[in-house]
Amino acid sequence: MRFALLCVVALFCVPAWAGDLDALAEQPRWRALLHINPGATLRDRQRSYVDDDNFFLAERGADDPLAELRATVLALRPDHAPARCRFPARYRFLAEQLNWRDDTPFAHCADYLEWRAAVHAKRAVLVFPASYLNSPSSMFGHTLMRLDQGDDSAVWLSWAINFGAVTTEQDNSLFYIYRGLAGGYPGRFNLVPYVQKIQQYSNMESRDIWEYSLDLNQGEIDWMIDHLWELKDINFDYYFFDENCSFRLLELVQVARPEGGLLDELRFAELPVNTVRALDQEGLITERHYRPSKEQELTAFSDQLSSEERALARGLADDPARSEEPAFQAYPPRRQALMAHTAYRYVRFVNRKAQRSEDVAGRSFALLSLINRLPAVQDPAPVERVPPEQGHGSQMLAVAGGQRGSDDFGEFSYRLTYHDLLDNNRGFLSGAQIQGLGITLRSTESQAVDLEALDVVSIRSLAPRDRFSKPLSWYVEGGLERAWAERRRLVRYVQGGAGASWRLGNLQPYLLASARAENNSDFAPWITTGGGAEAGLLYHAGRWQWQAGGAGHYFVNDVYRYRSTLAVQYALTGQQGLRAEVEREGWRGDGETEFKLQWRWYFD
Amino acid sequence: MKRAFLAAALLGASFSAHAVAPGGPGCGWGNLIFEGKSGMPVHLLATIVNGTSGNATFGMTSGTNGCDTSGALTYSGESLLSMNGVLEEVAQDMATGQGEALTALSVSMGISTQDRSHFNGLMHDNFAAIFPHQDVSAAEVMQNITAVMQQDQKLAKYV
Repeated sequence: MRFALLCVVALFCVPAWAGDLDALAEQPRWRALLHINPGATLRDRQRSYVDDDNFFLAERGADDPLAELRATVLALRPDHAPARCRFPARYRFLAEQLNWRDDTPFAHCADYLEWRAAVHAKRAVLVFPASYLNSPSSMFGHTLMRLDQGDDSAVWLSWAINFGAVTTEQDNSLFYIYRGLAGGYPGRFNLVPYVQKIQQYSNMESRDIWEYSLDLNQGEIDWMIDHLWELKDINFDYYFFDENCSFRLLELVQVARPEGGLLDELRFAELPVNTVRALDQEGLITERHYRPSKEQELTAFSDQLSSEERALARGLADDPARSEEPAFQAYPPRRQALMAHTAYRYVRFVNRKAQRSEDVAGRSFALLSLINRLPAVQDPAPVERVPPEQGHGSQMLAVAGGQRGSDDFGEFSYRLTYHDLLDNNRGFLSGAQIQGLGITLRSTESQAVDLEALDVVSIRSLAPRDRFSKPLSWYVEGGLERAWAERRRLVRYVQGGAGASWRLGNLQPYLLASARAENNSDFAPWITTGGGAEAGLLYHAGRWQWQAGGAGHYFVNDVYRYRSTLAVQYALTGQQGLRAEVEREGWRGDGETEFKLQWRWYFD
Repeated sequence: MKRAFLAAALLGASFSAHAVAPGGPGCGWGNLIFEGKSGMPVHLLATIVNGTSGNATFGMTSGTNGCDTSGALTYSGESLLSMNGVLEEVAQDMATGQGEALTALSVSMGISTQDRSHFNGLMHDNFAAIFPHQDVSAAEVMQNITAVMQQDQKLAKYV
């Protein structure tokens, strides 16, 4: 200790290992341990992502890996150095590289040893809860890391590593949400029981979960866990688009296996699904497991029932005593069991967010007791979904040609992200649309290239209702588009709506009430508002996806406008689609018709 | 040793009638079956930013979940059964005789792989004894499980 201090003060003192340090500071693992940006994102290149002085021992440690290495060597070298308890992974790195010998380097670190004894793992699993449209940060899904203790079937005892923004009660404001999404708010790693995550995603939010076992050996997993301790209460910047939950997990894997090329490419946005793809490309994924949401399980049970049985199950949920009635008793015990399961799952699903009540607890308990008395039935296998990483690429380029009125046009489009209702829905949530930053340029016979549309955001959730589930369908979108206001103009708009949707075989009708606010150079109020409705029909069959629909708005300045479309897309390949569209835009007294044929290419 | 420690903490309530529930009185042993989800991480803001609300959780060292983490530690400083929502899943699995919650319970009790299907069957057959009524609490369920296991030749050694 005194020796180390002397070095700091004197500065002349050159320890024997000093010559090696230059090379050591360039080692991939050291840079991974410091979270140096290797050029993977635009901000902070060749600098640490960590935004917390507590993480660095040198004053300029965030910018200077060598200075940080020197400071770390000085701090960790002495026996019983307190800094060892903070930086066990750094200690391991230095001890291995500089041949430090100490059989019990952490003997004085009671907190760390206790934590490490509880947090141990034989397997690391990347967990991907599917899209959740009702939360902005989860629209594209989310990723976390699971640490399994080894027993395949006991994942309820596993830990989950989650990276997210830290919220406190005081910050309860819209401004906070904005900051959480736009950046500038600290993000942290936390470690919670995986069972809590199952409860949150699978039960409360009805999200399917995909679990990918990673090909990391024991040593690599230990690197990750040791390093995780170093990140306790350490702040990172949190940016919604690139430096988010998914990106940070890649950094953790980078610590485990620093030689890999996970962070080599520059990325503009890190979507959770691309994280899965990146790991897959590195050959890190060995196995995939699908965990259906509670809602999916309920659907899987009710799908096994006839419509009479479904009605009986629904009645049973309201009053379990009906199991004594002849109508129920007439069925064979196995069918009774299926109905009881459906009823129980329905009661739990409907009340999943409710406070405990004697009535619900009583009905739940009675149904469980009934299930227990009836013969055991296998949980029906839910429909195996196409995993998200096998879906089409998240960016899109398209070219189109067509005619509007009597004017021919050519069109070019780019969309940053992600999926609309006509795109091939393999690997995507059915009935969900999320589009962000799309631009369309059009050139006509009479006019050179001009902006046709700029979609800032467009989110749609058309969730079908049935006997057991009554979700709301809704949408919100905004941007610039061409619309009629005395002539065809570029208008700025925001619109949204809510309503319902149903499923009849492959048909999905929907009906929504809608409101719109618009600004253009013709309308008199600077922001003109209008109300209206939207109705339509989706039809899916194999590679074909159809949509027919119409939407109309009546504005406060007595302008009336509607748009009806018939569109179909054929999936040429997984990454290419051909779309044909007929649109009729109408207003008081007149209207215009447009035909369009578009080739769409998905990538990244 | 670790296993014994884990099981001891899980079963703490049953070792002695006077024993204080492991983890302390605020730790969730009073949880009733079908308990509401008030303790769930469904804080709106936390969901919106994928984050944690209030005190950042970092495994057992957070120590702010109502459990005394200095004493009987099991899983994240809370016992599995006393965690919000778990009792309900265990009840469902016991009613049918299988499931992840039941497996996790048997693993945390140190029951060996070859005895687990027997454990599952025993829990299924004794569902009514383990869950006698709709207001049963986590601590009572743990006691009842222990009582059932003590009567069983194969499983008595685990309690």
